[in-house]
Amino acid sequence: MKALALLLMVLAWPAQAAWEWSAPLTVNLVQGAAIFPHLESANRRGVAVSGDTVGVVWEDNRSGSPQCYLATKVAAAASFQPEIRLGESDCYEPVLVALGEGRFVAAWESAGKVHARVLPGGAPITLSDGDAAQITLAAQGNTVYAAWAAQAGRFHRIVVARLALQADGLDVKTVQPVEAAMPTDEQGWPALAVAGDGSVTVAWEDRRYRHSVPMVSHSRDGRSFASPARLTDHKSGRVDGLGAGTGAMRPTLSAWGPRGIAAVWLDKRDFLSGYDVYAAFDAGNRRFGKNVRVQDSFGDNMAQWHAQIVGAADGSLVALWDDARDGTPDVWLSEWTGDAFGDDVAVPAAAGPGQQSDPLAVFDAAGSLHAVWLDRDEATVTRIRYAHARRK
Amino acid sequence: MKPYLLATALLFGAVTAWADPPAGYPFVDYNAGLKAARASGKPIFLYFGRYGCAWCDHTNKQTFSDAALKKLYSSHYELVYVDSESGRRVTLPSGERITEAELGVRLNAFATPLFVYLTPAGEKIVQIPGFKTVQDFRDFDRYVRGGHYKQQTLLEFLGGKS
Repeated sequence: MKALALLLMVLAWPAQAAWEWSAPLTVNLVQGAAIFPHLESANRRGVAVSGDTVGVVWEDNRSGSPQCYLATKVAAAASFQPEIRLGESDCYEPVLVALGEGRFVAAWESAGKVHARVLPGGAPITLSDGDAAQITLAAQGNTVYAAWAAQAGRFHRIVVARLALQADGLDVKTVQPVEAAMPTDEQGWPALAVAGDGSVTVAWEDRRYRHSVPMVSHSRDGRSFASPARLTDHKSGRVDGLGAGTGAMRPTLSAWGPRGIAAVWLDKRDFLSGYDVYAAFDAGNRRFGKNVRVQDSFGDNMAQWHAQIVGAADGSLVALWDDARDGTPDVWLSEWTGDAFGDDVAVPAAAGPGQQSDPLAVFDAAGSLHAVWLDRDEATVTRIRYAHARRK
Repeated sequence: MKPYLLATALLFGAVTAWADPPAGYPFVDYNAGLKAARASGKPIFLYFGRYGCAWCDHTNKQTFSDAALKKLYSSHYELVYVDSESGRRVTLPSGERITEAELGVRLNAFATPLFVYLTPAGEKIVQIPGFKTVQDFRDFDRYVRGGHYKQQTLLEFLGGKS
């Protein structure tokens, strides 16, 4: 236990530094009162940095149906390049990971299946045989993993695939359900992370206990997974013979430090204050510890939404979400200090009048934080905004 | 198969996870309910529940078990059930496509159950959180179908009721 505490303290060394944010840029070039961009995806993996290129994926309805788009920007550029479409038909919940040297892998749902492609240049391939949804990706070097919710009998279950890069293409090497047994209720919204030691962690939203519980499993090789465990330490159950337990949803994972994995999710254990953001840590022993409340006391009595955890190999770890404590939704950030999450700080360009919500973020190799969010103004035009931050 | 399950299963093959609409009521999903309301001209009664929610279970057993209430609401409303944690897709009257869980964000759903009354065009009339009695739902019905919401808040209406 002391060793774990020491490790957590060491991992928290960058946490005291404040952030210096760039001026925000608009990512989506096509906007309008009836155009609705969305950043939602499994594990909220919609922004990635590959070399000096930032990529952002989203879905909007500019063409009359939901389509997914990618926009990129090199660090020195003043604006994003015009976006490109990821596929040819209806598209939902796209995700993006970096391969390095300006290359990415994007994945999305279309026509009831999940698809992926290497960008730039690669052609889309279909990853799933049957009905599938809610795909997410994680990469380490040239090894790419995907997880999604695959139809299995009456319900969906989580599967993990290992993908191999071949020139500008992808090859599906293995597709493995996390559990061999058929699901007894719904599973969905998987989150994936590859730790510094190459092991794979997958978390997801699971209804086997007749209410939503984030579950987690690990694999040393990405093929054989350990029996799932609860991510939550809140053992809820029936209340006076009613219901089944409080809700917890949309887990996200991030690799963190040399071998660690961090998780956050939305948790309704305090059911009178809406969802709160809770976190848990696996320092490298492939077991998550006790849960930690993320938002500070000023955000306690209201609902938090769209939470994401973002970690880096140097031990940096931040959680982002949106809440309306100041009257309208703003994007908030809290950094892990070693024994708790620090005070909540509004992202400067993602706070104030109007609605700023749905944050996504990622660290680059140099330790800068890149954030993307939705900004809906009084004219109800929704823009995707981007800014990056360096430590002061 | 129950009407709610049947309608949803037929219309949406996407990720589905059944929550807890009260038994015996003709609840349908959001998209089907809005379509039905536009055709029938009936207001919409939207039950925003959560899978495993104790207070939803309590409301179902204590309140929605009332036969007269079931007849009242089944006759005069398009009944819509939304699962507050579901990724099932819904299309808002604005044309925006979101998930059922995201609808909770838009409604600032603090707790479940949450009951939302909508016009046949899908515009919100009033939303009411938490456990409610049979008499409460009768009062809400008078407020909505009597058109009192056009002149009074629900609190003003309830304060002045005889």
